[in-house]
Amino acid sequence: MRIDEAHRKATGLFRKRGWRVFKFQRDAWKAYASGESGLVHAPTGTGKTYAVWFPPLAEWMTGQRRGKSAPGLQVLWITPLRALVEDTRLSLLELCEELEVPWTVEARTGDTSGALKARQRRRLPSCLVTTPESLSLLLSYPDFKESASELKAVVVDEWHELLSTKRGTQTELCLARLRKWNPSLRTWGLSATLGNLEVAMSALLGTNAEGTLINGGMKKKFVIETVVPKSLERFPWAGHLGGKLVEEVAKRIEGAQTSLVFTNVRSQTEYWFNALLLVRPEWEGLIGIHHGSIERKSRREIEDRLRTGEIKAVVCTSSLDLGVDFSPVDQVIQIGGPKGIARLLQRAGRCGHQPGASSQVVCVPTQAMELVEFAAARDAMEDKRIEKREPLRAPLDLLAQHLVTLALGEGFREREALEEIRSAWSYRDLTDEEWGWTIDFLVKGGKSLKAYDQFKRVTRKKGLFRVDSRRVERFHRMSIGTITSDPAILVKMRSGKSLGTVEESFVSRLKPGSNFFFAGRLLVLDRVRDLTAYVRLAKSKKGTIPVWGGGKSPLSSELADTVREKMREVSNGSLKGREMKAMKETLALQAEWSSLPGTDGFLIEKTKTRQGTSWFLFPFAGRLAHEGMAALVAYRMSKLEPMTLSVSFNDYGFHLCSNTDRDVGVSEWKSLLSPDGLVDELVACMNLSEMAKRQFREIARVAGLVFQGYPGSPKSGRQLQASGGLFFDVFSKYEPDNLLLIQSRREVLERQLEVERMREALARIREQEFVLNHPARLTPFAFPLWAESIRAQLSTESWGDRVRKMSEKLEVSA
Amino acid sequence: MSLNNGGLELGWGGETLLICPEKAVFWKKRKALFVADTHFGKAATFRKSGIPVPETSSRDDCLLLEQLVSRTKAETLVFLGDFLHAREGRTEEVRLDLIAWRERLPKLELHLVRGNHDLRSGDPWPELGIKCHPEPWREYEFELRHHPVERSSKPYLAGHVHPGFALRERGGTSLRAPCFQVGEERIILPAFGDFTGLRKVVPGEGDRIFMTDGREVLEVPARGWKSTTPNWKRKV
Repeated sequence: MRIDEAHRKATGLFRKRGWRVFKFQRDAWKAYASGESGLVHAPTGTGKTYAVWFPPLAEWMTGQRRGKSAPGLQVLWITPLRALVEDTRLSLLELCEELEVPWTVEARTGDTSGALKARQRRRLPSCLVTTPESLSLLLSYPDFKESASELKAVVVDEWHELLSTKRGTQTELCLARLRKWNPSLRTWGLSATLGNLEVAMSALLGTNAEGTLINGGMKKKFVIETVVPKSLERFPWAGHLGGKLVEEVAKRIEGAQTSLVFTNVRSQTEYWFNALLLVRPEWEGLIGIHHGSIERKSRREIEDRLRTGEIKAVVCTSSLDLGVDFSPVDQVIQIGGPKGIARLLQRAGRCGHQPGASSQVVCVPTQAMELVEFAAARDAMEDKRIEKREPLRAPLDLLAQHLVTLALGEGFREREALEEIRSAWSYRDLTDEEWGWTIDFLVKGGKSLKAYDQFKRVTRKKGLFRVDSRRVERFHRMSIGTITSDPAILVKMRSGKSLGTVEESFVSRLKPGSNFFFAGRLLVLDRVRDLTAYVRLAKSKKGTIPVWGGGKSPLSSELADTVREKMREVSNGSLKGREMKAMKETLALQAEWSSLPGTDGFLIEKTKTRQGTSWFLFPFAGRLAHEGMAALVAYRMSKLEPMTLSVSFNDYGFHLCSNTDRDVGVSEWKSLLSPDGLVDELVACMNLSEMAKRQFREIARVAGLVFQGYPGSPKSGRQLQASGGLFFDVFSKYEPDNLLLIQSRREVLERQLEVERMREALARIREQEFVLNHPARLTPFAFPLWAESIRAQLSTESWGDRVRKMSEKLEVSA
Repeated sequence: MSLNNGGLELGWGGETLLICPEKAVFWKKRKALFVADTHFGKAATFRKSGIPVPETSSRDDCLLLEQLVSRTKAETLVFLGDFLHAREGRTEEVRLDLIAWRERLPKLELHLVRGNHDLRSGDPWPELGIKCHPEPWREYEFELRHHPVERSSKPYLAGHVHPGFALRERGGTSLRAPCFQVGEERIILPAFGDFTGLRKVVPGEGDRIFMTDGREVLEVPARGWKSTTPNWKRKV
């Protein structure tokens, strides 16, 4: 069979299913057939999978060595989520069967049975579906090189999800090794649309390769509609509006076949699930709840029922953002601002999953400002302005881990290995110093240490780095794949049924006997023992909703830019779209009492409140950057004149409150908001070392300092138990120039404080004209910041009352 | 304060004990000093398994013990279990450090109440001259143990838990430090060793908590401790 014959066969097959072959799929087939690598980007549900899965099958069908029996490993298929592996496997297998290709397709993850793993050690399937961790683990076996000798291609699914994470970096490193074994290996990525696809592709293919970027961006239709509440308070505050819209959401669910209801955080999922059942008690059993903390088995069950269409709606978080094909879903409801354009696109893509079908998205604001966000997101989507995701820069914890993996596999030699590592995009600028330090860390136990003769991790013999110790070998294999796992408490019913996990910090705040919502149930805590919280169903009706760690992601900078554009539009007198029209009165009032923020001038409001003097600043740079900026400005202010300042912040701006009044003029604000000396002053005013210590936990785990014991034999590792925090203290005390410590500081600045965005915002502000207003009352934009600032002082109930009263008072004045 | 060097005197079980900031308890009447969970050789154990730990040095811990002994003029030192961390940590380096320390304090009487780690790592080197006892050791008016027990015939001192306590500002930063957990029937000592870590304790009914930062002992309210300054009101 010739290659175009094979392509014809596939085309026929697609037609039989009622689909047609799209141009981008043909482009990918051709590019693959000519030996190229590349990246296919398209919204979900457009047939990306077939674009890259068919070509290797076609090649085999037309090749010399085809036969009736399954060949050895031809394709590695990497997917970010363990939960997606089985579905992916089945859909890959389906095409093999229809094309009558006798390939075996198997999965390999942490969940794979020991028997299957053992069989795979002897012979790998023709296509192996796996995760980055499991691939890394395979590389640690010396015989893997031999088993992978026929490998033709690696496909990385949902590459955008991995790209800017350590697991993405781990994938880059693994690919660098596979390419070293086989320079003609083809790498193909599948990605949602990103703002920096060229970089995404370079990261995937490494620094030595060029590739083909294939745009599968068919005009998938998005119908985005926002639920606009009939009456809109002009003084919006978080979490208040949403509750009023429950009935509206319930009606939307009734009007569709199957809905996915997305919220931004897990606690909101619990809230909405319970709220929906309250207005529609008959939905008991017909709607489901799905988030990352819920037991995998119940999640699985929900997913299965989604697939068969037996369920009316599922309330979920990003746990359902990815992958799996839920054909019956015909409506997506987004609760709360999407915070990012790519995220809204991704979620929109979860419905109308047949290629060509349209996506129906209903947006539900939880506070009035989010109306602007939705309007901005739609504009940005039309302009194809999508967020970028940047690969990480040379994380040394992961490098240390990977080098041990290589040493365990076939071993490595320094110069060759360095070249190989630098061929991975994230490490292309790895310095000689960083490399040398990492090698010392592995061989001697650290740079500043005299060589301990007892220290043994990687040994060097005649220039070859290997692992000698069985103990190191076992520990290492145990610890690969623990990049993301935080101490979690298992929630278990007294009957023994486990419901999922919650963060320890949440449970530690509960007393035995208190109620909380979890997995859609109201539970009573009995006791906590051995990392398990024993619970039973509660009789009373009141409970707390867990607030999980992790938390809210900030407004993306692309969306923030578009929000600012919307504000500029408004200031030029045009209100485009239903959302903006609904905001009309609020915006008019803002303009009347003060000025519109986010426009050409930089708005600072000063208002007297019962708490003292309040300043409100609106940089529109996202909550993380605002948190840092607020601390920075407060710090600089108090250096001018000693005073106690409280701060609060949201995605649009921040608020400083002081009991001493002070006149701050334009030139003084300019210096308070100057980007000069940013990092040093941040270090001085944020509790950076405490933050770095928390960040170090992950680094310690990845770099192999901390072990969680062997599963099944928890006792044998016990004499090696120490927490990441303890290592942080010990290193800080005895080895302060340890590069892992420095990495933890950098990660805090980059990831938790978004220092780059702060710098950009401050640079932008420097160029702006300042508008200093002194409104007599809180303005609509200042109000939510004020509400946030008194939240910390009061219990939830009295807080709600207090804010409601203030809002009514302001409405009267308006 | 200078008199006690940052320590606190505590009337307990009819006796007067000095809670020392160096994570030890001194009993003036008997000139006896008590420390728990030294875990000598822990860093060495880690290094042997390929986990790089900088030399936190048994030497630093020894130096501290030596200062403590000479300051209190103690004649007896009792280790409340977990003297050595693990069999793998019985290295020559650790042995030489300990012997050098012993030679500087030749007159001191040394006792060890064996803890769970001691059972696996074995008794200390004989040349250290440490008398080893199974728990409970009933030499004094109160018992000496490694593991805390729910009920005992007499009040006792114990270790094992590595108790730590956190002072938390609302929702924000917290200060974690080793602590003594003092009840009417028992005192649980913090771990003496530098590289040992903490376990957060939940104070029981009637428990008092004494935190130490290494220089000063401070009694803190055992429950409901909250900063009067809410988190957002950062003092700057």
